[in-house]
Amino acid sequence: MKPLTLSRLFWICGSLLTVLFVVVVVALKVGAVPISIADLALNLGRVILGRASQVPSEYRFVVFDLRLPRIFLAMLVGGALSVSGTSFQALLRNPLADPYVLGVSSGGAVGAIMGLIFAPQIPLVAPLAAFLGAIATIAAVYFLGRRKGQLDSTTLLLAGIISASFLSAVISFLVTTLAGQNLRGIVFWLMGDLSTPLPDALHWVLLAGLILGVGAIYTTAADLNVITAGEREAIHLGVDVTRVKLVVYVSASLLTGLAVSVSGAIGYVGLLVPHAMRMLFGSDYRVLIPSSMIGGAIALVAADTLARTVMKPTELPVGAVTAILGAPFFIYLLRRRLQ
Amino acid sequence: MQILFHRRIFTASAFCALAAIVAGAQTIPPPAQSSTTQTNSADAKPAAPLIVKDDMERLVAVPQPLKRIISLAPSVTETIYALGAQDRLVADTDVCSYPPAAQKLPKVGGPFTPNLEVIVSLKPDLVVVAANSGNRKETADALDLLHVPTYATNAKTVDDVLNSIVKLGDVLGVGEQGRILSESLRARLQELHHRLENIVPARVLFVVWQEPLISIGQETYIADALRHAGAESVISTKQDWPKVSWEEVVRLQPAYLVFASAHPEEITTMMAGVRNLPGWRDLKAVEENKIVIVSDAINLPAPRLVDAIEELARHLHPEAFADAPHAPAGVVHLAKRVPASMHTAEGTR
Repeated sequence: MKPLTLSRLFWICGSLLTVLFVVVVVALKVGAVPISIADLALNLGRVILGRASQVPSEYRFVVFDLRLPRIFLAMLVGGALSVSGTSFQALLRNPLADPYVLGVSSGGAVGAIMGLIFAPQIPLVAPLAAFLGAIATIAAVYFLGRRKGQLDSTTLLLAGIISASFLSAVISFLVTTLAGQNLRGIVFWLMGDLSTPLPDALHWVLLAGLILGVGAIYTTAADLNVITAGEREAIHLGVDVTRVKLVVYVSASLLTGLAVSVSGAIGYVGLLVPHAMRMLFGSDYRVLIPSSMIGGAIALVAADTLARTVMKPTELPVGAVTAILGAPFFIYLLRRRLQ
Repeated sequence: MQILFHRRIFTASAFCALAAIVAGAQTIPPPAQSSTTQTNSADAKPAAPLIVKDDMERLVAVPQPLKRIISLAPSVTETIYALGAQDRLVADTDVCSYPPAAQKLPKVGGPFTPNLEVIVSLKPDLVVVAANSGNRKETADALDLLHVPTYATNAKTVDDVLNSIVKLGDVLGVGEQGRILSESLRARLQELHHRLENIVPARVLFVVWQEPLISIGQETYIADALRHAGAESVISTKQDWPKVSWEEVVRLQPAYLVFASAHPEEITTMMAGVRNLPGWRDLKAVEENKIVIVSDAINLPAPRLVDAIEELARHLHPEAFADAPHAPAGVVHLAKRVPASMHTAEGTR
């Protein structure tokens, strides 16, 4: 492991943020309504200078009311998913762990579908019900995953896998009993989707949740480095393994719950981005956690931009894009590691 | 080795037994045909089946006389009632809700996953499916394998719906009623066409689902129904149920949002909740409360589609109906029917 210096951390995060900036600019430019870079700069300048009223209404609606919030949402969800993926991989000491494995996404999906079936007229019923579903699953898996009062990695992993497949069965059951029209909306929700506009305030709640969750996980970064080497060794070195596991589990679950509640089940981001970052910058969690957050944001903004534009005016579910691009990329990473 | 050998013999004999059962089952005459023979033997000699081509270009041998019909789609159930052939309808699906009497019939499950065992046990002479509203090709194929005659309707335009009614009437032996019904519907459409001759079609967004936003493609019968009602869907895609981008909808600025619902108050509540969200609040139609909630009859390729078209036209172009403030009554209702109701959210805020 390379020694961590402040300048190295700044250099890594700085270069990733530059990439993110470029991706965001491209994402702002392309879409159903094409916009030139010059116009974009001009109107962004107007908004920053507080002269929003000078922005033509078409720009204000499309770019500032729809496109910018959606990109912001993709950044938050991507960041949350890949930090929780990184954390679960460390916590379970399993490179295949991601938010899906513990059933949290399925729990969120069951919640959302129940909400859409029983109270479709309530606005934002899907995100609210999804968050409750995710939290309930997290609690259930946590209690199933304890052994002798301790959080045991293997038991937790098994409890998660069983819960995930049980909840998938519940989803199949609910979906087959639905009438055709409701089904169309729900199928998109299951595939992961960022197209539904959210109230402005909800974005700030998500941002606060992301900062809180990632911050809490980051305080354990040094301990995670030791725990990945082996739990017994970590205990001998004076790490409070029980506390670290609890903090990481609760925070990563919170991040997943937030992401699932607004975007449905988006796969591969939480699995792939942490691996890509590990290959690029090494496995020091003090670097891996911030770089995963920015990397996840880059990945999801890019995927969502493709989802918006490939077949316009029809939109693809972003989860389909991440899966189609993610699966081959994952195989490529695996093969490269083997050679 | 000994055990393995025994096990092999056991497996082989079990397989033979199973094969014998399967072979035996195949030789049993299909229940549908045996029932026809039984019912016919009492009074008349069995007539030759009527060979027809259905809307999917499949040849179907319809037993004569036709006594037991099962409908596998709400549109089919509605049409059979409108044709006055409901006394021969022995079962329909869980989602067949119109007319209300249809809800009391025995059920064979949902249109997507009907229970084949229940269908076969009811000994139908004919099963009618709707290829474009919820039935799967697999269901029709499975019924073919079970020797249950299966007739498929498939309407992609309003005109197809009228033609499909005539064809189904002929198949069910009520051709005269089919032609009367279809002609009366066609006359109403022509009258509507005449009234709307000089109007500019209203640009509408037909909302199928709101989270995410799903609309209709140009090749659906709903899009065609909109055209008959003096409206045009702003979404131009060949995909039937496109998930449309909010940016595109905001750019297109439809003059009206059209919802189809049997429970208009749910749409009103939903709209009250979302009207201040990004996307919705950027639409002039939402700002000006130009929201139309039309009967969910518009979702079915059945006779009431014309009711829904008329009601939508009346709402979008009231000036064309200045001389006829009420919907025409007394259309050919061979069965007791209630005209589709339409409600509007306008002014309820």
